[in-house]
Amino acid sequence: MALVACLALPFAVLRPNRIVAGVSHAVWSAGGFGLLLVAACLAGAVASVATLRRRGSWLLAAASAITVVLAWALGAAASTLLRGAAPFARVSIGGGAWLALAGAAVLWFAGAHGERGRWALGVSSSVATLGLLGAGAFGGLGRLSIAVEYANQGPQFWQLVGTHLAVAGTALGIAMVIGVPFGVVCARAPRVRAVVLAVVGIIQTVPSLALLGLLIVPLAALGLPGIGPLPGIIALTLYALLPIVRDTYVGLAGVDAAIVDAGRGMGMSRSQLLLRVEAPLALPLVIEGIRSAAVLVIGIAAVVAFIGVGTLGQLIFLGIGQTADDLVLLGAVPMVVLAIAADGALRLLSRALVSPGIREAAS
Amino acid sequence: MITLEHVSKHYGETVAVDDLSLEVAQGEVCVLIGPSGCGKTTTLRMINRLIEPTSGRILVDGHDVTSVSPEQLRRGLGYAIQSVGLFPHVTVAGNIMTVPRLLGWDRPHMQARVQELLALVGLDPAEYSDKYPRQLSGGEAQRVGVARALAADPPVLLMDEPFGAVDPLTRERLQAEFARIQKELRKSVIFVTHDVDEAIRLADRIALMRDGHLQQYDTPEALLDHPATKFVHDFMGADRALKRLGRVRVSDVMRNEVPTMQDGSGAETMAQRASCAESRFVYIVDAGGRLEGWFDCVAFREGRVARDAITSVDWREAAVRPDTSLKEALSRMLGQGFRSIAVVDGDGRLLGDVALAGIEETMTAGDAYITHAGGEPEVDV
Repeated sequence: MALVACLALPFAVLRPNRIVAGVSHAVWSAGGFGLLLVAACLAGAVASVATLRRRGSWLLAAASAITVVLAWALGAAASTLLRGAAPFARVSIGGGAWLALAGAAVLWFAGAHGERGRWALGVSSSVATLGLLGAGAFGGLGRLSIAVEYANQGPQFWQLVGTHLAVAGTALGIAMVIGVPFGVVCARAPRVRAVVLAVVGIIQTVPSLALLGLLIVPLAALGLPGIGPLPGIIALTLYALLPIVRDTYVGLAGVDAAIVDAGRGMGMSRSQLLLRVEAPLALPLVIEGIRSAAVLVIGIAAVVAFIGVGTLGQLIFLGIGQTADDLVLLGAVPMVVLAIAADGALRLLSRALVSPGIREAAS
Repeated sequence: MITLEHVSKHYGETVAVDDLSLEVAQGEVCVLIGPSGCGKTTTLRMINRLIEPTSGRILVDGHDVTSVSPEQLRRGLGYAIQSVGLFPHVTVAGNIMTVPRLLGWDRPHMQARVQELLALVGLDPAEYSDKYPRQLSGGEAQRVGVARALAADPPVLLMDEPFGAVDPLTRERLQAEFARIQKELRKSVIFVTHDVDEAIRLADRIALMRDGHLQQYDTPEALLDHPATKFVHDFMGADRALKRLGRVRVSDVMRNEVPTMQDGSGAETMAQRASCAESRFVYIVDAGGRLEGWFDCVAFREGRVARDAITSVDWREAAVRPDTSLKEALSRMLGQGFRSIAVVDGDGRLLGDVALAGIEETMTAGDAYITHAGGEPEVDV
């Protein structure tokens, strides 16, 4: 599919300046690297068909190869198209290139799923990263429009990333501190459970912008500002509560009654039972809840830019305001990367903390 | 050791246990049995206060169970349940150390205890200590469950259908091993089951309950021979002579001297020898004495070649152990269509055999006793 997309859809777009529509160019504009890319996608397709779930390392190799060649091809396309163009001309990434990247991602996840050993994951990720950095330094990738936008933002970009992480992380932390105990209470007291789950469920259904608006009034009543980091963090915390409370409760409720009975019958106190038996057994689901909450909060943290918090959302809103698509991308792509990184980190945490006795038999 | 005095448990209008009085002597196995909903599990759970009685008093070793906290009480009473309830996130060793850890034993002491207990229940400590429960078979898990209940060496064991969730053959092995361990440790045991055969086999005394009432509390023999009510009579079943065989072990009627030959090669000459004159079957064993099969003298004499008169078997399936109950041995014998069955030790070495004739003798003794008691037992309904 990535192969077809590469050929059929525009690969790169040349625009006279950063905000007007441009002229599409096919993958051939990248010259030799374009041909290489086609070859790499072809290899990926062959690898996915031929190895179908058996050897993930081939899929990983194909994915990293596509990624690296794609980066160099884009760089080459940018350099070629900009040669002799006007000084404000920009080259954006076309649909074909995006789809090729998506194809590589699919191959990578399929390969990562099938691969038992971790070295193949490490090697393919390092190769892809090195390839990308190389393309950025020497391959002309830095001449793409999104890179130019990044250069224009300068240190402010990293400030936005930092704020984004700080706001999301703080909210997630507070939600964990509040949510896990609430989950425990839900598992203990059915009447409280009904109320708590209903409340966090309703919060979840309130659209994020509406919630920010609604928060202004009660905060004002308390003499607190309705805009800025405080309401932002409050809103994100509220959103993060549902997955954490619900999964903590489900995890605890799912503990086999016979196991709890055995623990009680052997003389464990309430807290010993919770800490030594119920908590370790519920842990996989609790971490799962935190994982969902983390991904959710990183996404919604963008919206908080509306009330004046400097998150990556600011770039998106700015980009939309200026109809500068690549500025929008500069905000969106790092958010996706952050979400994937948080997801991966929490999966690793789960592997490290959950007892081998209750891990999925497959792993 | 364990005394229940006029214990009742009411759930609103429902009476789960009604004015139950029971005394279990030190070192005795008391089996609580009855149809489901009769209150046997409730009774067990009142002893370690997982359920608090509505009225009455329960004493363990002379002390009222309410004189200490429930947690402290339970740490002193071994507890094993049907679905085992092993902690899936903890290794076998960790599971066994549960109560010692609650009691604050030091680590070397606990580890030594784990080794000792695993060996006691017939599991190799080196192989099993670090396994997780999901890696165990049903029978192995039940053994670990029993080891865990015994960990802190409690004088009292409470067992709620501990062998309920395994296949009949495994259950038979577990019962035999429990009988062996109990003979060694002499714990005071309260054992809940719904399986009459299991009760007859393991109990010193059976407490038969119905609708929260104690129907009869006596030895298995007494319940079989002198049922106090029609309900007891019916519950124990019509095949009482057969049931009684559950009380007798293979080793009690086993024939120790059996004709054997080493491997099948000398069959021809063997057949000529005297061993064929006294018995139809000659057991074939390997150099280590392990059962490999048997040689059928009659088939040989009827003109078959020696090789065809040999039946090869797997001792795990075709033989019983000395601690197997006679009832089980009989059922295996009939199942295989033979008039005798080989007895082997845990490594398959031939120890002897049990013949139908020997079992008949035991049964006849029982029948005579029942006939003497007056055919149909007297019942007051």
